[in-house]
Amino acid sequence: MKEGSLLPENDARESALFFVVCTLCFLAALAALTAKATYGAAEGWTAEVEGEMTVRLRDVDRRAGDEAQRIIEAVPDVVSARVMTPEEIEELLVPTFGRTGFPAGLPLPLLIAVENQPGAPDVSANIARRLAEEGFSAVVDEHADWAGDVRRALGVLRLAALSAVALLIATALAVIAFATHAALLARRDIVELLHLSGARDRFIAALFERRFWMLGLRAGAVGALAALGGAAAMIFVAQSRGGRANLLPQLSLDLMDILILVLTPIVAGFAARLATRFTVMRALKGKDAAA
Amino acid sequence: MSNLDFDPFDDVAVRLEAVTMRYDSPEDVLSDINLVLKPGSFTFLTGASGAGKTTLLKLLYLALTPTQGDIVLFGQRTSLLSRDQLAALRRRVGVVFQEFRLLDHLTAYENAALPLRVLGRKPADYREDVEDLLRWVGLGPRMNARPPTLSGGEQQRVAIARALVSKPDLLIADEPTGNVDPEMGARLMRLFIELNRRLGTTVLIATHDLSLIREFDAPLLRLSHGLLARDVEFGASA
Repeated sequence: MKEGSLLPENDARESALFFVVCTLCFLAALAALTAKATYGAAEGWTAEVEGEMTVRLRDVDRRAGDEAQRIIEAVPDVVSARVMTPEEIEELLVPTFGRTGFPAGLPLPLLIAVENQPGAPDVSANIARRLAEEGFSAVVDEHADWAGDVRRALGVLRLAALSAVALLIATALAVIAFATHAALLARRDIVELLHLSGARDRFIAALFERRFWMLGLRAGAVGALAALGGAAAMIFVAQSRGGRANLLPQLSLDLMDILILVLTPIVAGFAARLATRFTVMRALKGKDAAA
Repeated sequence: MSNLDFDPFDDVAVRLEAVTMRYDSPEDVLSDINLVLKPGSFTFLTGASGAGKTTLLKLLYLALTPTQGDIVLFGQRTSLLSRDQLAALRRRVGVVFQEFRLLDHLTAYENAALPLRVLGRKPADYREDVEDLLRWVGLGPRMNARPPTLSGGEQQRVAIARALVSKPDLLIADEPTGNVDPEMGARLMRLFIELNRRLGTTVLIATHDLSLIREFDAPLLRLSHGLLARDVEFGASA
């Protein structure tokens, strides 16, 4: 004959708590997954732009552009140089003028896209010097200048995402502590009876801990899986609507993603267990103090 | 007996020393109670409603701590004990609550076996004993029923089985025959007496039932307005 649990199996309050913990775990895992994916995408993008620069030449024709290209290609650490077509240059101005508002006869500079070894020193200075020596009036726009700003912005975003995750975990802890206290009050009769039967505080706390540990694990697992689905859906929608898919985060399901998904239910379970132990022990001691 | 000559190692099961109990109101529910119950004694406690019987029992099964005075159980001064030591002491006390306090989600068998689970005993070790006890109190066919489906008398018998199952050193019963017919009441009383005589369990029974008190002719404590009629020492077995 298997004996029943000392705590009742079904409780509507626990269903509500399951939903709340599940939602918090979903949000926490989603925040962690998207932060990680966004950070990864931005890291790739900054690494890419660090190896690129653009050379602007004023008042030159295409033939002079080709000559400048050859000069640039000869500079050490330059991998390639290419004179951009007028269509490509107009495309760069679309954000400013729109596709139909481009003024006729607007003088366009000649642009040369340069790819260099990432991290190589003084490439832009060498290009500028060599072009000046050959009589070109050129401005070298190093994309790496922008990477620092992007990194700083990403740092802020990462901090915000980590703060959101920490806040969600703290909220989950508070909610579980509140729910445990409510469960304890609702089952005061059981707690009182066990107490008077000589049960130690740890014995009583362990009953609640086991219950809420399992609840945390289950809610965390469901929340993590929902977050995985949510992140995949968000990225899929963003990529299917955006033209520059390479700039968008990728859901790679690498080791870190798997770690986030596996840790979410474990953290939720432990958080539930700790919150429960603290709440029950405090309530039992408070009860005796009141008596 | 004066409180001054108290010896913590003397041969008493229960000693109350000048115990006063007050709740939130300024009036004392119990005033300056001095009481000694020797091991193996069998005692009735009576008194009108509101006289403080339940409060006195709650102090004895360590559900309350006195406002003043001290309680000594089995030679241990309860005010000096840690929470775990108090829990260990509670395991030596079986209680039949007036309101039964059964757990509705457990069967009669599981309710009766609850103190043994608290003691950490394995189900295989106690199953037969619990079933025998439930059969003895007439609940053999109702072992797997849950309290909401049991009558008041049946619930009371489950509560009694639960109080007896761990063979406590002290049995405290609050109106244990209040919801059973006279025949079952007499049978339960005989069970208490048997427990008292065979195992030397100290028994304290609170009851309004004067015919029961007369029938079993045991020492009597009378509470009135929070006072014991006199400081008394009961040592006789029933």
